[in-house]
Amino acid sequence: MTTGQGVIHDLGYRHYDGARAGRRYIARALFLESAKGAYGLGRSAKSKVMPMLLLAAICLPAFIIVVITTVTNADKLAGDYTSYVLNVSLLVMVYVAGQAPTSVSRDLRFRVVSLYFSRPLERVDYVLAKYAAMTTAVFVLLALPLTILFVGALLAKLPLDEQVPDYLRSLVGALLVALVLAGIGLVIAALTPRRGLGVAAIIAVLAVLAGVQGAVQAIAVEEGADTFAGYAGLFSPFTLVQGVMSSVLGAEKVLEAEPPGALGGAVFFAATFLVVAACFGALLLRYRKVSI
Amino acid sequence: MNATVVQLTARGLLGRRRAYLLLALSLILLLLCALVRGLAGQDTDITVGILGGFAIATIVPLLGLIAGTGAIGPEIDDGSIVYLLSKPLSRFSIVLSKVAVAVAVITVFGSVTVLLAGLVLSGTSDNLAVGYAVGALVAGIGYGTLFLLLAVVTRHAVVVGLLYALIWETLVGSYVPGAQTLSIQQWSLAITERLVGSDAEQLGVTSAVSLGAAVPMLFFVIVGSVWYAGWRLRSLRLTSDE
Amino acid sequence: MSTLLLDNVSRWFGNVVAVNDVSMAIGPGVTGLLGPNGAGKSTLINMLGGFLPPSSGSVTLDGEIVWRNEGIYRRIGLVPEREAMYDVVSGWEFVLANAKLHRLNDPHAAARRAIETVHMTEAQDRDISTYSKGMKQRIKMATALVHDPPVLLLDEPFNGMDPRQRLPLMALLQAMGDAGRTVLFSSHILEEVERIAGNIQVMVAGRHAASGGFREIRQLMIERPHQYTIRSDDDRALAAAIIADASASSVELVAPTTTGGRQLARGGPTTGIREAASSLHVQATDFASFVRVLPQLASRANIRLYEVSPADESLESVFSYLVAR
Repeated sequence: MTTGQGVIHDLGYRHYDGARAGRRYIARALFLESAKGAYGLGRSAKSKVMPMLLLAAICLPAFIIVVITTVTNADKLAGDYTSYVLNVSLLVMVYVAGQAPTSVSRDLRFRVVSLYFSRPLERVDYVLAKYAAMTTAVFVLLALPLTILFVGALLAKLPLDEQVPDYLRSLVGALLVALVLAGIGLVIAALTPRRGLGVAAIIAVLAVLAGVQGAVQAIAVEEGADTFAGYAGLFSPFTLVQGVMSSVLGAEKVLEAEPPGALGGAVFFAATFLVVAACFGALLLRYRKVSI
Repeated sequence: MNATVVQLTARGLLGRRRAYLLLALSLILLLLCALVRGLAGQDTDITVGILGGFAIATIVPLLGLIAGTGAIGPEIDDGSIVYLLSKPLSRFSIVLSKVAVAVAVITVFGSVTVLLAGLVLSGTSDNLAVGYAVGALVAGIGYGTLFLLLAVVTRHAVVVGLLYALIWETLVGSYVPGAQTLSIQQWSLAITERLVGSDAEQLGVTSAVSLGAAVPMLFFVIVGSVWYAGWRLRSLRLTSDE
Repeated sequence: MSTLLLDNVSRWFGNVVAVNDVSMAIGPGVTGLLGPNGAGKSTLINMLGGFLPPSSGSVTLDGEIVWRNEGIYRRIGLVPEREAMYDVVSGWEFVLANAKLHRLNDPHAAARRAIETVHMTEAQDRDISTYSKGMKQRIKMATALVHDPPVLLLDEPFNGMDPRQRLPLMALLQAMGDAGRTVLFSSHILEEVERIAGNIQVMVAGRHAASGGFREIRQLMIERPHQYTIRSDDDRALAAAIIADASASSVELVAPTTTGGRQLARGGPTTGIREAASSLHVQATDFASFVRVLPQLASRANIRLYEVSPADESLESVFSYLVAR
C-alpha cells in the first residue's frame, strides 16, 4: 500500500548515454527508407504489386528489342536509347502518380511529419531526402531498361564506340527526367493528405501537359511555325529533357521539332534547372508549417 | 435515389481542392482550343485530333476518375460512410445518388466543356462539337460508374482506374487492337461516329467498335457497375483506423 | 423488449481469432463492455451493429439477423469509434441529414432535440471541421439519438470528452437504460462503467470472461481470497482471534500511517489522515463464514469494531483478476 512519501522504483530501465547519430544519419536513413518504399521493399506485399508490375512492363520492350537485335544480327539496336524513354513515358508518369503520394501523403495524413521534425532533422533534410529518394526510384525505373538495352547491344557485339556514348547520354537524360518528374509529383502530392486525390492530380497534370504539348507542337509544325514548335517542347517534362539532351548533349533528334539553335538549347537547359529548383523551393515552403 | 445523400455527396465532392482540379482540367482544354484556333484557324483534322485524341482520350477519363472515385472513395477510406450505412436506406439507393452526383459533375466539367471546345475549334460544322459532346457524356457516365464501383471494391481505386484508362485503353489498345473492343473510349467514339454522320470516316472519326456492339456493352457496364457497387456496399466491412 | 443475442459467435481474420465462441444476451438496461486492448470489443460491437459478419454463429436482434439488414437500423443507434465525419457541413446540418436519412416525420424537431440533449446548440452552426474532439463525440451521440432507437451501441463514447461533458451524457445513458432501452457501451475507463452499467460483460483475448454485476462476479471468484480492512480498538488481539479461526488465511497488522487514497475515495472515514491509526488487512478464504464469525470473535474478545470494509470489491480489482487469470 502507499506510504506518505513518493517512491520511484528502479525497474532496471537504462538510459542511453552514448553517442547519438546526428542529422546526416537520420536524413540518410529517411532517404533509404523512402527509396526502398517506392518499390514496396520493406513494406507489405500489396504495396509491391504496382511498382513491380510497372517496372516489368517498362523493361519488357527492352528485352524484346534485345532479342530482335540478336536474332536478326542487325548492326544497330532495333530501338534506340533516346526514343525508348519517350515511348515509355506514359508508364513512368503512372509510376510517379502512384508512388509520390505513397511517399509523402501518408506522413501528412497521419500527422507524423511533426514527429520527424521533433528530432534533429531540419526541413531541408526531410525535403532533400524525399526528393532524392523519389528521383532515385524514377531513375532506376528508367536506367534499368536502358541498361538492358546496353547489355543486349554488347551481347550482340555492336560497335562499342557508338553504344557507350549513347548509353551514357541516355542515363543523363534519365536522371534529368527523374529530377523533373519527382519534383512535380512530390509538390502535388504534398499539397493534399488524401492519397487518391494526389494520384489523380499528378496524373492529370502530367497527362495534360503531355497532351497540350503534343497538340500544340503538332499544329505548329503543320502551320510551319517552326520556332514556336521548337519551344512548345517546354510544356512537357519529357520533351523538355529531350530538348536539353539533343541540343546540349548532342543526342539524336527524335522529336517533331527540336529547340532552335543554341538559344533554344540554353532556354531548355535553364528551364529544366528552374523547374527543379522551383519544385524544391515549393516543397520547402510547404513543409515550413506542419501541424501536430 | 435519396436527396440527402445527393446533398452530402455534392458537398464532399466539390470540396475546394477537387473542384479546383476539375475546373483546371476544363479550363485548360478550352484554353488549348482557343490557342489552337488562334494558331491554325478552323481545321476539321485538328478538331478531330484534339477532341478525339485529347479530350475524349485524356480529359474525360481523368474527370471520370476524379469524380467517380471522389464520390465515395474518401468516405470509405476514413470510415465516415458508416453514417450513410447505419440508416434504413437501400444500398442501391445510396449508390445511385452518388452516381448521379458524379455524372452531373462529369457532365458539367466534361461534356459541356467538350461542346464549348468543339464550338471554339470549328463551330457547328460537321456536327463535330455535338457529336463529341454526346460521346463525352456517354463516356463520362461509363467511366464515372465504373470508377465508383472500383472505389467500393478496392482502396487503390484511383491507381487501378488510371491503369485502365491510360494504360489499357491507350497504350495496350494501340498495340493490341483486340483490347479496343473492351474500351469505354471506343464505345463512346462509336456513338460520336454515328452522330457526325456520313462524313465520319472521311474526317477520321472512327471507332474500333460498331454501334451495335458499343451501345449494349456501355449499357451493360453502366448498369452492371451500379448494381454490383450496391451489392458490394451491402457487405462493406468497417475496420478501425488502420 | 429489445434483446441482442450473440449465439456462439466467432470472428477470425486470417489466423487471428478476434472473437472466440462468445455467447451473450444483452437486454434492456445499461451494459458495459470491458476488456483490455485487443480483447475484441470493437469487433464485437461492429458485429452487433451489422458492419461485420460473424465467421460463425449468429448475431440477432429480437430474432432478426443484423448482418445485411438495412431495416434494422430503425431500431439501432450506433456511435462509431472512428473520428471522421462529414467535415464540410455544420453540426446542425449533419444531424439534420441523419434525421432525414432515417425518414423521420419531423426531422427538424428530432434534430433539434438531439442537439439539445448533447448540449451542442451554441456550436451547431459551425463547420464540423472546426470542432474539438469532445464536440465531435457529442455530435456523434446526437446522430445516434436522433431517431430515438430502442437499442444504442456505443464504441468508446466518452473518448475525448472532459468530465463536465461526460456527466450529463452518462446520466442520459442511465436514464435511457432505466426507461427500458438496451444500451451497450465499451470503455476502458472503469469508473464510468462502474457508475452507470448495471451489467458488465468482460472480454479477455477474444473470449467472454465474465458477465453480470461486478459484485456478483466478485462473489463467484472463490479462488481469490476476499480482502478486508478492519479497524478496531484492539487490533492485535483481534488479529490473534481472527487467525485462530479457519476462515481467514492471513492477517496483516498495518502500522499507524495515513490510509491509502482508495479508502478515502470510497467515502470511508477520513480519520485516516488526521489520526494515525493502525488497521488489519485480512484475507478471508471462506467469505461466507468469515462475515458470520467476525462479529462473534469481536464480541467474545470485547473488541469494538470501528470499520469493516472490503478492500477489493471494486470493478478495478475484479477486472484485474479476470485479466490476469
